[in-house]
Amino acid sequence: MKNREDELTSLGSSTTEYKYEYAPEFLETFENAHQTNDYWVTLNADEFSSLCPITNQPDFGTLIINYIPNVNMVESKSLKLYLFSFLNSGEFHEDVVNKIGKDLVKLMAPKYLEVVGLFYPRGNISIHPTYSYSNDEAKYKEIEKHRFINRNINPPRVG
Amino acid sequence: MALKKIDIREGTKIEYSSKELLFLAKSGQPYRGSLYVKFTSLGETIDLISFKKYITSLRNKTLNAEDIAYAIYESIELVIQVNDLGVVVDLTARGGLQQRLNYGVEFSPIIKNNIFQV
Repeated sequence: MKNREDELTSLGSSTTEYKYEYAPEFLETFENAHQTNDYWVTLNADEFSSLCPITNQPDFGTLIINYIPNVNMVESKSLKLYLFSFLNSGEFHEDVVNKIGKDLVKLMAPKYLEVVGLFYPRGNISIHPTYSYSNDEAKYKEIEKHRFINRNINPPRVG
Repeated sequence: MALKKIDIREGTKIEYSSKELLFLAKSGQPYRGSLYVKFTSLGETIDLISFKKYITSLRNKTLNAEDIAYAIYESIELVIQVNDLGVVVDLTARGGLQQRLNYGVEFSPIIKNNIFQV
């Protein structure tokens, strides 16, 4: 097991640099201390904001990230800085949810991961895309299939 | 971004709200909040498109969090003549602390679950 203080640079730093354009380099991991058992981690980000790539108008939404960790776990301050970096990035809702999901899979190689975007309405319509991923093990493939089929049975209102 | 005014019936009581307030704190950290503005018209109010653009323009403004209600109050007061102007800003939590800021007339905002609730 690595020393967590040696793994992380953002958390506990006396100075914090913010970027307002897409900056995946912010993302950091620490080692999962409980690799022998599966468990869920949910990260809720209620302050997500980016720009419409066509009109440049701001979009807002809540992101919900659920995952089953393998060896590496995303450190939450680095995730905060990464998510804030979308502030001046032009992103369609459907694209940004997939982009964040793929960045997190590349970072952590989790057993299972999903990203749900609950975006505020624009033009009377709110968009709620979901990205999902599982590794090749049958158990996690089954989880992905089950959640994909049963997704959004009780859709929430956001706005 | 300058606000524009439009003429309306004098005496109309207006309350605007937006859940999409965003500005930068001195640290550079983006701050999110809800904005509520209330006043009684003296014959004019803010053009809604210019109000939306003004709120959007705050995304690139750096302010002390405690000054955000005053900054918005001042911007409105510069453009339209009204009675009983009040601005309330509810900020999301930072370090476990929430802030409600009020400048001008105090009032309790009508808080709705979503923007289509009437």
